Amino acid sequence: MRLLEVKNLKKIYTTRFGGNQVQALSNVSFSVEQGEYVAIMGESGSGKTTLLNILASLDKPTSGEVFLDGKNIVTIKDSEISAFRRDNLGFVFQDFNLLDTFSIQDNIFLPLVLAQKSYEEMNSRIKHLSQRLEIQELLQKFPYEVSGGQKQRAAVARALITQPKLVLADEPTGALDSKAAMNLLKIFSTINDLGQTILMVTHSVAAASHANRVLFIKDGEIYNQIYRGSMSNDDMYQKISFTLSVLASGGEELE
Amino acid sequence: MNKFFYPKLALVNLKKNGNTYIPYILTCIGSIMAFYTMVSIHSNKGLDQMPGSTNLKFILFLGIIVIGIFAVIFLFYTNSFLIKRRKKELGLYSILGLEKKHIARVLFYETVFVTIISLSLGLIGGILIGKLLFLLLLNIVHFKSPLSFHIDYWGLLITTGVFLAIFSLTLVTNFLQVKISNPIDLLKGGQHGEKEPKSSWIVTLIGIISLGTGYGIALSVETPLEALLLFFVAVVFVIIGTYALFISGSITLLKQLKKNKKFYYQSRNFISVSGMIYRMKQNAVGLANICILSTMVLVTLSTTVSLYIGQEGMRRDFYPWDVSIMGEAANTDFAAVKAIVELEKEKLNVRSGDEISFDLAHFRAFQEGSHFLKDMVEDESTDTMYYERVSNMTLIPLDDYNRLTGGNKSLAENEMLIFSVGDNYEEQTLVFGDDQYLITEQLEAIPMDFKKTQDMGHTYYLIVKDDAVMETIYQTMKNDDDPQTTLHALMFNLEGDEEILNAFSANMRAAVLQSNPDINIQNLYEALTELYFFFGGFLFLGVFLGSLFMMATVLIIYFKQISEGYEDSERFVIMQKVGMDKTEVKKTISKQILMVFFLPLAGAIIHVAFAFPVITKMLAAFRLTNIPLIFLCTLVGVVVYALVYTGVYLLTARSYYKMIH
Ligand SMILES: Nc1ncnc2c1ncn2[C@@H]1O[C@H](COP(=O)(O)OP(=O)(O)OP(=O)(O)O)[C@@H](O)[C@H]1O
Ligand SMILES: [Mg+2]
Repeated sequence: MRLLEVKNLKKIYTTRFGGNQVQALSNVSFSVEQGEYVAIMGESGSGKTTLLNILASLDKPTSGEVFLDGKNIVTIKDSEISAFRRDNLGFVFQDFNLLDTFSIQDNIFLPLVLAQKSYEEMNSRIKHLSQRLEIQELLQKFPYEVSGGQKQRAAVARALITQPKLVLADEPTGALDSKAAMNLLKIFSTINDLGQTILMVTHSVAAASHANRVLFIKDGEIYNQIYRGSMSNDDMYQKISFTLSVLASGGEELE
Repeated sequence: MNKFFYPKLALVNLKKNGNTYIPYILTCIGSIMAFYTMVSIHSNKGLDQMPGSTNLKFILFLGIIVIGIFAVIFLFYTNSFLIKRRKKELGLYSILGLEKKHIARVLFYETVFVTIISLSLGLIGGILIGKLLFLLLLNIVHFKSPLSFHIDYWGLLITTGVFLAIFSLTLVTNFLQVKISNPIDLLKGGQHGEKEPKSSWIVTLIGIISLGTGYGIALSVETPLEALLLFFVAVVFVIIGTYALFISGSITLLKQLKKNKKFYYQSRNFISVSGMIYRMKQNAVGLANICILSTMVLVTLSTTVSLYIGQEGMRRDFYPWDVSIMGEAANTDFAAVKAIVELEKEKLNVRSGDEISFDLAHFRAFQEGSHFLKDMVEDESTDTMYYERVSNMTLIPLDDYNRLTGGNKSLAENEMLIFSVGDNYEEQTLVFGDDQYLITEQLEAIPMDFKKTQDMGHTYYLIVKDDAVMETIYQTMKNDDDPQTTLHALMFNLEGDEEILNAFSANMRAAVLQSNPDINIQNLYEALTELYFFFGGFLFLGVFLGSLFMMATVLIIYFKQISEGYEDSERFVIMQKVGMDKTEVKKTISKQILMVFFLPLAGAIIHVAFAFPVITKMLAAFRLTNIPLIFLCTLVGVVVYALVYTGVYLLTARSYYKMIH
């Protein structure tokens, strides 16, 4: 089943005084199937965060359409957008974005509280989840009391607790050391195996090599994509590295 | 390293932290100006030559002390706020390779610059504004003749000394801050506030009890004397209670709310409660400061304004007649005195109103039921007892009374008429020594005085059969330092322009005393000058301190907004990302800010409401009993202050919201 469909997405940033125009996305189209694990790669400034923000309905495209589960999120009314985001999407950010006024547990509860779920339900959901992410011990602590890797796992728990259709992650391993990063990627693979659809922006070849499919963006367009098929993580790693080096050399069309 | 390296770095730092250091320097300048102005007005030579300036000088001296204490506390507070915000920056220096002693050197130069700028601008400002305020003071106390106002070199020196000491102390505390912390701590310094605050039931309880005690005292005070004695006790309790409740009570309450899961995990309460816990932890002391400062502003302004406005009404209480001249009946030639008075009246063309003259005897006694004693019973001589029993007794012979009232009463040897200025005399008889007198009538009015609310002791006028009876009683009751014989009094009112009457009063006093130095003259117009000095001085100080405290409040509010703006902007973004509506976020945030802001104001208004009974009693000690007037002054004060407060809030909220977007 097709979960996400992106058609002819275009985004032009206009600076405040109308002077410079930056074309962040020129023409992006792709689709994501239910249960897929997709990584998006590209050079700095190629428009990855812009794309993710549009998918997250945090930003509007200049033109183009985005369908999530058949619903066009570009045309959703402003008043409904927060509820839509809450019910359908989960986010993991590079800098965790945990609120320091809340304990880890309350941070994880935040989207459920906003969705006005009962305390009993929140409690039963977090039990399961915190076990899987190995953060049961940390629930009563505050963000400043735990490590970066632990913070990121809490952020993942917050993204998953609403049981979203799609998890969006922007460089989730960016602020982690390699061990914590590997740990997180394993968690992503596990939840993906359980059927969770994931879309992840990353600079890390190691991170991307865990995905089923890797999209490459260059100059605001999809430049290439790699399907895992039956490849192992190591093979994926090789292939991604190769594609990136071609990309960097300004390379001519592949395949 | 270049020897200018540290001074340069210090200057760069001050500029970079301008949005906090400029207000800080302004505070320093303001405090220095205030201090110097008070000192220089206090030591003005011309002031010494004014009659009745002793009270005024005492009030001004109080002002110097209050401003001094205030400056120490407030500059310390703002300084600690600044250094806390800069811990991260200092930690960075230390990681970049500056040793602690180098950081100390930078801090030293920073303080030197702040000191130089503040002292020079503050003193110049003080010299300029001092003259203006001095003229204002003279105007408030109705002093017409111009006095010169010079630069007060001693004042400059004292001010410089005091503030150098304060700045040195802040520098030392900053050194200590750097010394006791390692770079990681310094780097994290800004984040220490993020710890979940601890609350303690004990502190909360202490707060509740203190506040309750303070309020209880305020409500239970009955006499002006108690009010004067207990007011400061109540103030101390209320201050302790305020700090304890803001610091611990608020958090205990919020944590209790948080424990109630059903309540806490509602989307509206969830964010408010945890946000408030966090804010209260950071701001409790600041908010308590604002609350207490606001209360002080309100109480000072409302009392001083009430006194100043109310003094017109009060003066008649002190002086039923404009002029009263008294001398020993046997040794004074009242015809001659009267001639002198008439001569002086003619000279200045003063018209006179009513006039009365009569014999009298005056003494003090202590009332015990119907017995009037010369001295108090020893073991009961507490202050309260004293003020309950002390009685001012005036004896007047019947024929003088009949003459003045045109009446035709008669009395036996052992009978009296009584007029009590305060509550009616409750006994049937009156005993002096071994002699008992029967009260035949309670008079409702008397020419020499009128009914008023009396708050300390009693004032009785007794009409007796004749001079002989008066003499007998007087000889029994008089004290050693009272005049030997009974007195004669001449009382009259004056009409005309106040300035002419002032001049007349002074001339007359001089002329009469020249003829007979033992004569006692009481004069409303001379007394007025003194009252104006007293209440005018109070008003001046009240307005002066009120403005100073107000400035402090504004500054604390500004610092609060700044320090929260940065942090809240991050939170604002995250909440949107996890699915909170933009408008919803805005609403919650502005609700929180409103609560945090108006909590101290609400606290201050409650404090003032509870203080009101004590204030009215205290003012009664100054013979201001016009409660509607006091109420009106307080109400206007509260409304005006609330408006100013709201204005400050709106202004700083603008800079806060700018940070958030
Ligand atoms: N709000 C904005 N206003 C104007 N231009 C923007 C804005 N956000 C991004 N851009 C520009 O759009 C282009 C794409 O930016 P984007 O943040 O999507 O890149 P990215 O692929 O996420 O880069 P990185 O890997 O460094 O995070 C860049 O040239 C950037 O300067
Ligand atoms: Mg990016």
